Amino acid sequence: MSTEKKKEKILDIKNLDITFDTTAGKVHAIRGINIDLYQGETVAIVGESGSGKSVTMRAAMGILAKNATINSGEIIYRYRDNKGGIDYDPDLDKDAQWKETDILKMDKAWIRKHINGRRMAMVFQDPMTSLDPTMSIGKQIMEGMIWHYKIDKKDAWNRSVKLLEEVGIEDAEKRMKQYPHQLSGGMRQRIVIAIALSCNPDLLICDEPTTALDVNIQAKILELIKKIQKERNIAVIYITHDLGVVAKVADYVNVMYAGKIVEVGNINEIFYDPRHPYTWGLLSAMPDLDTDEPRLYTIPGSPPNLLHEKEGDAFAPRNAYALEIDDKKEPPMFEITETHKAATWLLDPRAPKVEMPAELKARIDRMKKEAENNGSKL
Amino acid sequence: MAANYNEKPLLEVEGLKQYFPVSKTFTVKAVNDVSFKVYPGETYGLVGESGSGKSTIGRSIIRLYDPTSGKVTFDGNVISGKLSKSTKDKLRVQMQMIFQDPMASLNPRKKIKDIIGEGLDIHHSYKNKQEREEKIEAILAKVGLAKEHADRYPHQFSGGQRQRVGIARALIQNPKLVIADECISALDVSIQAQVVNLMKDIQEETGTAYLFIAHDLSMVKYISDRIGVLHLGHLLETGTTEEIFSNPIHPYTKSLLSAIPVPNPEFEKNRVSVNYDYKTSGIDYDLGTEHLVDGTHYVKCTDEEFKAWT
Repeated sequence: MSTEKKKEKILDIKNLDITFDTTAGKVHAIRGINIDLYQGETVAIVGESGSGKSVTMRAAMGILAKNATINSGEIIYRYRDNKGGIDYDPDLDKDAQWKETDILKMDKAWIRKHINGRRMAMVFQDPMTSLDPTMSIGKQIMEGMIWHYKIDKKDAWNRSVKLLEEVGIEDAEKRMKQYPHQLSGGMRQRIVIAIALSCNPDLLICDEPTTALDVNIQAKILELIKKIQKERNIAVIYITHDLGVVAKVADYVNVMYAGKIVEVGNINEIFYDPRHPYTWGLLSAMPDLDTDEPRLYTIPGSPPNLLHEKEGDAFAPRNAYALEIDDKKEPPMFEITETHKAATWLLDPRAPKVEMPAELKARIDRMKKEAENNGSKL
Repeated sequence: MAANYNEKPLLEVEGLKQYFPVSKTFTVKAVNDVSFKVYPGETYGLVGESGSGKSTIGRSIIRLYDPTSGKVTFDGNVISGKLSKSTKDKLRVQMQMIFQDPMASLNPRKKIKDIIGEGLDIHHSYKNKQEREEKIEAILAKVGLAKEHADRYPHQFSGGQRQRVGIARALIQNPKLVIADECISALDVSIQAQVVNLMKDIQEETGTAYLFIAHDLSMVKYISDRIGVLHLGHLLETGTTEEIFSNPIHPYTKSLLSAIPVPNPEFEKNRVSVNYDYKTSGIDYDLGTEHLVDGTHYVKCTDEEFKAWT
């Protein structure tokens, strides 16, 4: 990215709060979330299953399940008014007029027409379930383009073939006529990415895009998304629980726990200077290839059931460093640097001084040294 | 860990082939001439991408499939051919399996105690009801679940807990070998660590051997004593974890190792993963033979390739 280019904010989620009505009661899935995102940037949302990562993004795309109630919050989406074309135009930003809307206030039909696919596109976790088994690959890629931009079939066909080549699929003409079951997992995920890119979106949301794939294919897919992001200056949101993937792709990281963001920072702050005990736990639980420690660190217990609301910090029961106040009052976000914030009472000036676990500290020091040996400056 | 390499191997797989005929003219060769040994009390990790045949090997060994050819010896008995009643009974007790998806592998209409106790019922491994209950309670405690959990149904558990039930079911017969087929892939990172630690603890206590099938190399490194790398049904490289990770020989192994994501952003920025494409690599797996690198480290390739790589 060139530095002169002014980066515009395209997504601003403010104080989002969502509950789901279920037969068992109300589930308070999202409890006040703030996320913002600029053009060309990559933000990762990390957390265990059930922490609310996917729900947040579904809200942003207006595709929440029917039993969801939005209690408060805004999802401000900013877009260029003059964006008309299906082709990516690098000069578009020059004299763009920026408009903004609150997605939560818009009706489904408007979102469908202006947002879904056209400006915000999503890559889902499992490529087998997100593709239609009864429709040929070509038809599935063309569908969105024809619907959104009213182009003719022949044009759509040619564009689809070009897209398939762009995502690294050989024999594109032949693949267009095939069906999802005829392709391997990695290929299918490439198709899903091609579909997501077909309508030239400003924002790509990847919901665990590589969890179902193995490491070799995973590396290729991540590099592919990165390359396309650079070419088209699109913003990308990754939802994942794999910190290895985050380290590879993200600029900023949001760590989520029980429907709240507990730590946010740029990539180096989160990986080299984590402050929240939950982030410590997540980092320590990653297997380390360089030590011979016989046991893996684990975060004791399991994520809380959001059906029952707990007073104080939701992470306290699993937190070895929990203070007395954690059971009474929820910690606010403490600011460490301008970009780095964490919600833990340990950062309160009155709190006792607690260092991260020694093993993790040693590991981070080793990682830094390794990075420096590779020519990075920290 | 109490892996005992001086003893006779617990499981010996020699030239295992598993073909699936699709039509008259086309046969899928899922496993092609694979040989390896698992010693008592050790963990052998089988790694490879999806479609490499790693799950098929596990299923052929435990006789969910009938092997096309090859010889599998388990604890002194040949289990690849026709099974006699006594061998079959022994196999069904002493070799157990943990499956990938804990929700799909537990019967939703049965209580946990009946899921875990089913094997005991079938093999009449208890004298009275009380003994059955005691055995179930003991195993639940071992995998970190409470007594009260015995009367619940699978849907009342979280993913990590369900996998613990799967482990309890496999361990209640005191098996000599447990085949763990991608048993942590469906779990969250922090829960994966819990399950891996649990499996290690149990191994130290009971001396069970594991055949650990996975595609996540970093976890495999943690749990395995020895590793076998599979690709397209061929066992390309095998050796101790140390040998494979510090001195990979086969280009496929190298590419696998280079693709493991590391939680180190500055390092990741400069790292380039090694690309490997079988079609363009010019390697023909069918021509390869086993070559000794050193110690217990073997690689499957032709003589010329071996010279070029080492």
